[in-house]
Amino acid sequence: MEGASYQRFPKVKIRELRDDYAKFELHDTDVSMANALRRVMIAEVPTIAIDLVEIEVNSSVLNDEFIAHRLGLIPLTSERAMSMRFSRDCDACDGDGQCEFCSVEFHLRAKCHSDQTLDVSSKDLYSSDHTVVPVDFSDSAAAAGEALDTKGIIIVKLRRGQELRLRAIARKGIGKDHAKWSPAATVTFMYEPSIHINEDLMETLTLEEKTSWVESSPTKVFELDPVTHQVLVVDPEAYTYDDEVIKKAEAMGKAGLVDITAKEDSFIFTVESTGAIKASQLILNAIDILKQKLDAVRLSDDTVEADDQFGELGAHMRGG
Amino acid sequence: MNVPDRYERFVVPEGAKKVSYERDTKIMNAATFIVEREDHTIGNIIRMQLHRDDNVLFAAYQLPHPLKYRILVRIQTASQSSPMQAYNQAINDLDKELDVLKYELEGAFSRFSRSY
Ligand SMILES: [Zn+2]
Repeated sequence: MEGASYQRFPKVKIRELRDDYAKFELHDTDVSMANALRRVMIAEVPTIAIDLVEIEVNSSVLNDEFIAHRLGLIPLTSERAMSMRFSRDCDACDGDGQCEFCSVEFHLRAKCHSDQTLDVSSKDLYSSDHTVVPVDFSDSAAAAGEALDTKGIIIVKLRRGQELRLRAIARKGIGKDHAKWSPAATVTFMYEPSIHINEDLMETLTLEEKTSWVESSPTKVFELDPVTHQVLVVDPEAYTYDDEVIKKAEAMGKAGLVDITAKEDSFIFTVESTGAIKASQLILNAIDILKQKLDAVRLSDDTVEADDQFGELGAHMRGG
Repeated sequence: MNVPDRYERFVVPEGAKKVSYERDTKIMNAATFIVEREDHTIGNIIRMQLHRDDNVLFAAYQLPHPLKYRILVRIQTASQSSPMQAYNQAINDLDKELDVLKYELEGAFSRFSRSY
């Protein structure tokens, strides 16, 4: 009964890797798989985000729901998310906080006592779980050579006498539910282009023609060698599949000057994380989630059984 | 007031089946799989994997309505196979492909971080 396998054996090559950024090549698979991974990274890899806010005092200029919304959007370190439970199916609690399996509690207390405006930021949120805290961007800023900003993400500004006091519950969730749970800032992939210049035809062009053809590309894909006057492909991946150089060649009466095709089984991915989880972990989690999803859509035994009976009944009716 | 809960988009309602199977009454070896609370992510990979199967004569998926959170996967196979067999095979192959991909990525990530 077991049929032949049509499994593929994809290959990868990492180009760049930082905590919040990854660029890699994916080979020997097809778009459906590349796209499924992209979609899962954006909408189905879980993180933790503030989902319930109880405001005790708010005399700031922003209203309660405005602040609650801003709190929800603060990325929280979510390495724990994959092993946490969703509140909606947590057996240990009714899903409204103080349960270590499905939620993390935060407190915020701030009051301005001076004439200097007080910035209330993500740094003022106190977590009940030291593994789930607002993302600290100072390390990545320092690594990128930017000014060290240790102020965190601003929630609201207070003037003298104004106060904000609240309790917040963070829960596990996915981007499909609300974008605040999406661990991905951007995930994109492109087909790896294969660009071939027809050298014989190219040599029939004058220097001016070559220059204007090279310049017809909106992105810097080609270059004219100043010494040999040869047209070179310097950056195939800069090509945006805009067809401009092809149209230009046709307009010059040199159709077929360049041949550009997309390799159907090779993709270049860029993954940017919000900081909730590392980019590398985001990719690996997406694979796990996709595997779980596939497992969930397997046929259940009773469905198979019901069909077997249907088959017998059908045979009985046909054969008499 | 009467806004549906957001989780209705991805949580299978109580009592409903995740996958149901409807055999075609007119065509031999043809069937439709109704998959609850899934979308293009699952639909498209299963369809493309089914197309790699030589015994599959027809495979397609559709998301009939953006607010009806279900997909239909229709399969017709040659007589030596069956829609169920092809469907199971496609899922198994995709699952194994993801195992390979995970293994490759874990290796690549650790090699990459060690070299920097
Ligand atoms: Zn709980």
